[in-house]
Amino acid sequence: MSLKSNANRLAKLLGIAMVAGLTLAGCTTAASESASTSSSTSAESSESTGVKKEDIVFVASVINTTNPYFAANIAGAEALAKKLGVPIEIVDSEGSSQVQNSKIQAILAKGKTVVMFVNTVSSADAPIIVEATKAAGGFVTIWWNKPDDYEPRDVGDNFVAFQKHPGVSSGECTADRLAESIGGSGKIIALPGVQDSTTSATRVAGLEYALATRWPDVELVELRPSDWDPELAYRNSQDLITKYGSDIKGVWTADDGMQIGAMKAFEDAGRLDQVKFVSDGLYPPTIEDMRSGRGNNAIVGETFHRGWAASAIGLYTAYLAAIGEIVPSELSNDKRHSLFEIACVGPENFEDFASLDNDVDGWIDQLIINGPWDTAPFKLIGEGPEILPQY
Amino acid sequence: MATKEPGNPGVNTAMIRIREGEIAKSTNWKRLAEPTSLIATLFALIIIFSLLNPRFLSVENLRNLTDQASLPLILSVGATLVILLGSIDLSIEGIMGSAAMTFVLLSANTRDSSDFGLLAVLAAIVVGIIFGLLNGSIVTKIKVPSFVVTLGMWFVGLGVATVLYGTETMPFLTNSDLTSWASTLSVGLPNSFWAAVVVVILGVTFVGLTKTGRSVMAIGNNENIARSAGLRVDRIKLAVFAIAGALSAVAGIIAAIKLGSGSPSVGLGSLFVTIPAVVIGGTALAGGKGGVLSSTLGVFILIILNNGLILAGVSPNFQSGIAGAILIGAIVVAAASQRDRLRIAK
Repeated sequence: MSLKSNANRLAKLLGIAMVAGLTLAGCTTAASESASTSSSTSAESSESTGVKKEDIVFVASVINTTNPYFAANIAGAEALAKKLGVPIEIVDSEGSSQVQNSKIQAILAKGKTVVMFVNTVSSADAPIIVEATKAAGGFVTIWWNKPDDYEPRDVGDNFVAFQKHPGVSSGECTADRLAESIGGSGKIIALPGVQDSTTSATRVAGLEYALATRWPDVELVELRPSDWDPELAYRNSQDLITKYGSDIKGVWTADDGMQIGAMKAFEDAGRLDQVKFVSDGLYPPTIEDMRSGRGNNAIVGETFHRGWAASAIGLYTAYLAAIGEIVPSELSNDKRHSLFEIACVGPENFEDFASLDNDVDGWIDQLIINGPWDTAPFKLIGEGPEILPQY
Repeated sequence: MATKEPGNPGVNTAMIRIREGEIAKSTNWKRLAEPTSLIATLFALIIIFSLLNPRFLSVENLRNLTDQASLPLILSVGATLVILLGSIDLSIEGIMGSAAMTFVLLSANTRDSSDFGLLAVLAAIVVGIIFGLLNGSIVTKIKVPSFVVTLGMWFVGLGVATVLYGTETMPFLTNSDLTSWASTLSVGLPNSFWAAVVVVILGVTFVGLTKTGRSVMAIGNNENIARSAGLRVDRIKLAVFAIAGALSAVAGIIAAIKLGSGSPSVGLGSLFVTIPAVVIGGTALAGGKGGVLSSTLGVFILIILNNGLILAGVSPNFQSGIAGAILIGAIVVAAASQRDRLRIAK
């Protein structure tokens, strides 16, 4: 067999593989699902004044599909869609505002009434997405990030709500747990997320407020942003272990992903059983670490909130507006810019919350019965914007 | 008295000889000056940072630095070879993600109990080689610029890794011997670093002592002349992209071992350490000049800069800006003799 024919075959094979690879890498997963089950609810039956259910398509837009939190966003949105019998499309933003906006605009152009949950890549994306949705007659709920001065009530009924869990409460909860676990004194380090992230900044504000007002002998010796990246958290932790040595008694991270990297760095340095950790999210790997007591019960505090709950609450709120069950402009301010409860958990009670992951469908049933603002453990607790503590 | 070319009374050959001598001296000086000034820069950084924080020179930090340098060192060998060709490989992070996911899913992990042992390593490296061959094939057969091809392959790699990741929770390696391998010390330094040393030695040997390695330099210098001299340019390019893909896969495997888990984003940020390190080391972006060893200097300058600024207590708000300013200053001094190599200072 000649070299040239081999080369031609190789080129053809590579061409086919390339097309296959690009297809695999396609990022918008359109999953039109018919409902296999559909509970009878008031929301489903009273559609006379709004859009008909068969004219609606759900859209859930997430920052990427591999972060556990965003993967849970998808799971919650799909579970709700299945329960209500509405088709759903998932938008994978691949971490890019540009990708996110162009995919959403393409879906809006298809013509069906879009009911959308968006976990925005950056705050600045919210107005672009909302205006495009409004122009297309859709309904959108944004989670976590939007510009401070861009409020749903100023835009109209198509921007149904902005929703989030309060970061300050999260930071305070974990700060208290960490300070208590080290006996109320000693040096700690903190690994926030991306430096200009509002979510991270509010959690840090809660941490600093708790330390300043309740734990004067706990010294936060360094804040080292680790961009929500476990690998960067690992490297930064290595450097901080070198810098402060055995003085470090506790580690605060703004989410569980970074905690994974930080714990591995302390484990590699042989110090995991001498340091306590707290973080936000109670991800499944964290639950396993708490169950196994890894590192002399190294994890002492977490906050509990779930991606599947956020997407289901967000989508269901927008859905109620679409079918005419609620009129956003008639809602109180706390239902347009909402803060939802975030649970503060520790080794003594984390199993109570972890078990919720085993019955997402059951929780969705409760959501449909109780509505988006009154379903435990994620009840509406206040009105945004979140106020940073003054002290 | 000046001699003149016989039959051509206008040409002063003595002046030509003098000029040739000057060029030869200048070339020799440049050859020595660049690594010397890079090493001097490295030592200057070490001295400054150890004055700012004595712990910088501790054994513990030496282990940190070598551990943190391990992945960029491995990646820089592949990147140097590709850049010596006059091409570029931007697919590093995508290949790392795909290889890491392949490795973790075929090793004992929290998702299932299947454990293929060393075959998992082999499979992940094969994935890297396939990506490299795809890069090389499209560059050589379809004549698409490497910048475009490898940029696309970056996202194909991430896409494949994302498909492998699926919608389940993050897979964690369950073999504690495996997860502690990278940080375990051998002769006082972490295994991850020794793996990088082996790769660097192989890279230096390949470029300096093999015919194919020397051919890489020739192709980078002038592809047309290399082709007319009978070199199998396309095959050499294909081989180099395959090697780079394999090394990206090795880096992905070690990154997964270090974190103890698999994630498509395991290579996040690697590209923007690797390519600058190669260029800082003096490898010409246009190809044909440079080398693996000089890239290792570039890697250590970048790693020491980041580590040193943290130990010196520089606020994160200023760190990026200060690191950039120091880097520019270092390169202005270190690469002054070789500015023409960068060929982008026009």
